Amino acid sequence: MPVIEASDVSKCFGTTRVLQGVSLNVDEGEFFGLFGPNGAGKTTLLRVLTGQLMQDTGTVVTAGVPNTEPIRLKQRVGIVPEAETPPTFLTAQETLELTCMIRGLDDVQSRIERWIRFFDLKEKRDVLCRDLSKGERQKVMLAAAFIHEPGLLLLDEPFINLDPIYQRRVREYLQGVASEGRTVFMCTHILEIAERLCETVAVIHRGRVVEQGRLAEVSRGGGLEEVFLRAVEGEAVA
Amino acid sequence: MRQSLSLRLFKAMMKEEWRLHQSLVGPLGSGLFPAMIFVFTAFLAVVTPLLLSRLPTATLLLMLHAASVAYGLFVGNFGSIGEQVMTRRLGQVSMVMQMPQTYPVSFKRMMAVFYAKDAVFYLLYSYIPLTLGVAVAAPMAEASLSGVAMLGVTTFLAFMVGMGLSFTLSAVSVRSRPAGLAMYAALACVVAMIHPLGIIGPECLMPSLGYWASKDPQGIAAAAAASLILASLGVALMKEKYEIRQSRHGDSILGFDRLLDFMGGLSTLAAKEWIEVRRSGALAPVVFSFGGHLLAVYLMSWVFERGVGVDLGFNVVFYSGFVGFMGVMTYSFITNLEHNEYLNVQPVSVDQVVKCKLAVYFALTTGVAALYVVGLGAVKHQMGLVPLGLLLAAATSVYVAAVTSHLTGLWTNTMFFDAGIILRFCGAVVPPMIVAEIAALIMPVRPAAAYAVVTVSVVLLLVSVPILRGLERKWAGASFSLVNTGQ
Repeated sequence: MPVIEASDVSKCFGTTRVLQGVSLNVDEGEFFGLFGPNGAGKTTLLRVLTGQLMQDTGTVVTAGVPNTEPIRLKQRVGIVPEAETPPTFLTAQETLELTCMIRGLDDVQSRIERWIRFFDLKEKRDVLCRDLSKGERQKVMLAAAFIHEPGLLLLDEPFINLDPIYQRRVREYLQGVASEGRTVFMCTHILEIAERLCETVAVIHRGRVVEQGRLAEVSRGGGLEEVFLRAVEGEAVA
Repeated sequence: MRQSLSLRLFKAMMKEEWRLHQSLVGPLGSGLFPAMIFVFTAFLAVVTPLLLSRLPTATLLLMLHAASVAYGLFVGNFGSIGEQVMTRRLGQVSMVMQMPQTYPVSFKRMMAVFYAKDAVFYLLYSYIPLTLGVAVAAPMAEASLSGVAMLGVTTFLAFMVGMGLSFTLSAVSVRSRPAGLAMYAALACVVAMIHPLGIIGPECLMPSLGYWASKDPQGIAAAAAASLILASLGVALMKEKYEIRQSRHGDSILGFDRLLDFMGGLSTLAAKEWIEVRRSGALAPVVFSFGGHLLAVYLMSWVFERGVGVDLGFNVVFYSGFVGFMGVMTYSFITNLEHNEYLNVQPVSVDQVVKCKLAVYFALTTGVAALYVVGLGAVKHQMGLVPLGLLLAAATSVYVAAVTSHLTGLWTNTMFFDAGIILRFCGAVVPPMIVAEIAALIMPVRPAAAYAVVTVSVVLLLVSVPILRGLERKWAGASFSLVNTGQ
């Protein structure tokens, strides 16, 4: 059963066409990877799928909710955006409290404790987010996306700024999420990690999905790098 | 010939400023802004001599130059920019200003270029259209075009002195808060020595005003030198390195949220807003600047009455009408504290945050406004008019805040550079203000005018209801990121 259904989605910024007729289906329980060169439209697509941005044409239904109802949609999913921008004047602890309260969660303290422990943020929990390092702020963003244990996670470069220890920890967590039947949709440039995690992939180039399917099928025995290069270079030649 | 780095940076910043404006308010809105200033000034310049025929030229010049210094003081707070850049408070917007973080360019050089860019920008965007506007009315006021041009020069120099002063004060404050406070106190002493003590002349703070006393170009040279010295001092005092302090706060948003239960579903976001105002250090400046602007309105008319020797007849109700108008700056300040991009990924809509900003705005301004009206009632021995004044103050405050939040959402400071928005704002706010103020003024001779004040107040309050309710429809679908060009 698809948890993300995008049909013929197009989006322009001024005269620049960033997405052109993108159609995409992601099934429940899948670990889905979206790849593409810089400026291909990955972040825009993720923002459209999560109701942060409205497409010019086409339809999007995410977690059973059309993206024309962004509040209801965001209530059901966890999102890690491209930039790590937690609230400037709140502490790490308060950011997680705010997230729990906005989402109307119970067991707030135990949830926060779990993620503070997971990311080893105990020493930094009372530090203002503006004073945290990039990696620490990324941990806060990840914790805030995971804290309500949503059925669908949409992650834009989730491993960025994380050191190898936490990259591994997050990777294992995400594998666990998928094994529980929940869905992960991830944009990343780190093909080695994606190769280990993703079952289904799509490659986007110049706003179009140029390759899509199960990793084993689209890779044809090669690696994800070959899929990526073939799709992008093939499109460029065409 | 190879361009110097500073010139290249200057050009890049000018392009950036123009493109930023265009991306925020569109090329038409951006281009219309100076045109609108020209039209407004021309209108004012035509009607002012008719309205203020008894106003001596010297007083008019004093007011124009004082307003220019105040404008410069308002926009020149660049000292804190370094801290904002280094503490990553500009959200996702990257600017040329941020280059010293990663490139071999000193922050002082960057600030010097930024200062020059802003001076040119305000000259092109404000002072040239202002001067051209006055020039239109020159024949009617029997003023020469060369005189108008000189007025443009001297008021711009007064603006530059204010901007330089503000820059230096803010640069000192970032280095040492006590030293900054001492300098602000010294400035207040200088102002007090000019007025009411009268120990020194206003030319000490506004050297370019001195030109008009004797047509001696020395005043212009002194103003140019003062603005250059102040700007150089500001640049020299800028910090090159900003240590990222780790501010720790053991509070919990949970307890605070419960205190705001009366706000229903918005209590959490309102708690966040309140914490931000407190921790950003904006609480005292917001309250004092709101009170200060209200007081300035009273003091200006007081100075005018003393200077011209005419009782203007402004009563408490008249002054109360300004409460809402002054509140615009306070609302703008509150919306400028945080970029809120984090909320893009949470189930929260822009209109909810706008409502919380309004709640914080009313919490910060209501007490000050009430104190202002009651205080003026006591000073002017018009306590009987205080209830009516309070009603008008409340009505204008609610109405102007409703209109401002409806038109500009969370981006008041930026949106007001859009000529279309500022025209709509003026169209909605100025006519009822004029009716209320005229009614307040004629109350001593026509007591029935009080009914007009009551009627305007009630109408404004009633009209505010659908405007506030419409916030959801207007802003629910908006993004928290104003510049929306992500790939």
